[in-house]
Amino acid sequence: MNETVVTFFSGSHPYQVVTELLTRYLGFNATGLLTVVTFFVACFVIVNVMALVGGLGTYAERKISADMQMRQGPNRVGPFGILQFLADGVKMIMKEDIVPKDSDKMIFFIAPILCMAGVFATLAVLPFSSGFTLTHLNIGVFYLLGVSSVVGVGIFLGGYSSNSKWSMIGGMRGASQIISYEVPVTLSIIAMVLLGGGLNFKDIVGAQGGLPHQWFIFHNPFTVISFIVFFIGALAETNRAPFDLPEAESELVSGYHTEFTGMRFAFFALAEYVEVFVLCGVAVALYLGGYQVPFELSDTFLLHNKIGLPLGPARILGQLLEVGGFVSKTCALYYVVIWIRWTLPRLRVDQLMTLCWKYLTPIALINLVGVAFWVYYFDGESMWNLIFKSGAAAAGGH
Amino acid sequence: MFDNFLFISSAALTVCGALAVVLSPNLMHACTYLLTSLIGVSGLYVTLSADFLAATQLVVYVGGVVILMLFAIMLTGGNDNKSVNKFGIEKIAPMGNIKTFTLAGLSALLMALVISKIIVNVTKAVPKGELPPFSSTVEKIGELLITDHVLAFEISSVLLLGALIGAALIARPRKIES
Repeated sequence: MNETVVTFFSGSHPYQVVTELLTRYLGFNATGLLTVVTFFVACFVIVNVMALVGGLGTYAERKISADMQMRQGPNRVGPFGILQFLADGVKMIMKEDIVPKDSDKMIFFIAPILCMAGVFATLAVLPFSSGFTLTHLNIGVFYLLGVSSVVGVGIFLGGYSSNSKWSMIGGMRGASQIISYEVPVTLSIIAMVLLGGGLNFKDIVGAQGGLPHQWFIFHNPFTVISFIVFFIGALAETNRAPFDLPEAESELVSGYHTEFTGMRFAFFALAEYVEVFVLCGVAVALYLGGYQVPFELSDTFLLHNKIGLPLGPARILGQLLEVGGFVSKTCALYYVVIWIRWTLPRLRVDQLMTLCWKYLTPIALINLVGVAFWVYYFDGESMWNLIFKSGAAAAGGH
Repeated sequence: MFDNFLFISSAALTVCGALAVVLSPNLMHACTYLLTSLIGVSGLYVTLSADFLAATQLVVYVGGVVILMLFAIMLTGGNDNKSVNKFGIEKIAPMGNIKTFTLAGLSALLMALVISKIIVNVTKAVPKGELPPFSSTVEKIGELLITDHVLAFEISSVLLLGALIGAALIARPRKIES
């Protein structure tokens, strides 16, 4: 079966004690019950933390853009204005919920939920660490692609149901953009799956190391290009500038969520910010070493035997180090995404499609073949290994 | 117990979604209900531990086919129930034609045969089987696709290439002759 967060916790002593106690008092085998409870708690924590990350994303966006434009940004609510997103959230809840008279009510109600559901379902496989991931599904990457395609439907339906020209154009652009850019993104991911030897995030991350030369991005020349293609595609899939045509504010008012107010709008915004985080996380897991910590500092054996921590805290500390590694890399990428948004101008629609079909897709295809060739010919060794080996051979082979 | 829960919920999702598709008068709504039905089918695949198939169902149908259908409905105008015949009954294109009735009767007969064939198996007392222990199907599918079923694989790829070239041909900008 797949490794899950429950597998991690059930390996610990307190968990087994609790299971035994519950079994004794309830009179039946409590393993299943405890599994469900653990999953529920883990899901609850992750969904709430990610909602918080989405909120902080809006704050980061405003603060970084302000920094780039030599402004102050939000600075009134809380220290450095960090509570601004909470104030915004309260404002969103208090706002009047306006539904346009001629809108398609049912779809208008469903569309933001579809967006949210699609994004939050991807969190099930996002590898925060080797133990704290909800599940290391054996088709992890593929599942993530499948579930996140629901977002496209949500955006399209949001645009359609508003019964407004701007929303309509935005929704159509969104759907066509997401479908188109899924092709180069998927091809880049397949190249990494080839290197990692599995669709499971655990396999892919496990094939990398903690230090940059062990990451897949620097594995061989093809993977560098693959990363760039993936990153551009991910920007387009999350409708971020310079690909924010579905919500181009200077031409389409606000695109597919023009007519949405209050919490419905907040759902769309939250879905977008969380999706950016998720795709940055996927980029980190596939290319930047994922949750690997340099020098294997997170190894339980090292923490337990060499440093002398008790077993329980050693495992938890190792996992926390891994989460720290993953989240810091993801946040760095998140910064780059925001940086790009406030640097580059928006593309035209025809340029967008040209970039996808005439440049990114062929490049991704050639890349896939190149990576396959590399794996076959060099036995999957990274170029640093090859360089080092040839250097060592030139020095006499010692 | 969890397997049963998963099966019942996804089966209910599939059946209710399909019923809603049939009973909904609005094409756009029908397409949205189809989404739930397709997600339910993917859940059914999960209960059969066909993990790869389930994810493929999501990628292909939810991400691709449904959006395509939504586009098609939207661009063709979809839901204008203006056409009413002289009795005030909504006119439906293939209604009231000997040919279509014959076709419908024949296909209904065929469907009935297929369904009764399925139901006969259900009513027979088959000993309750056990699913084999879970193992990943991705490798097996990959192997079979390029060994036993390589012909089907290649034919479908040629078909898709044809569709791609056709789409490019239709969408390519034409030179305006002046």
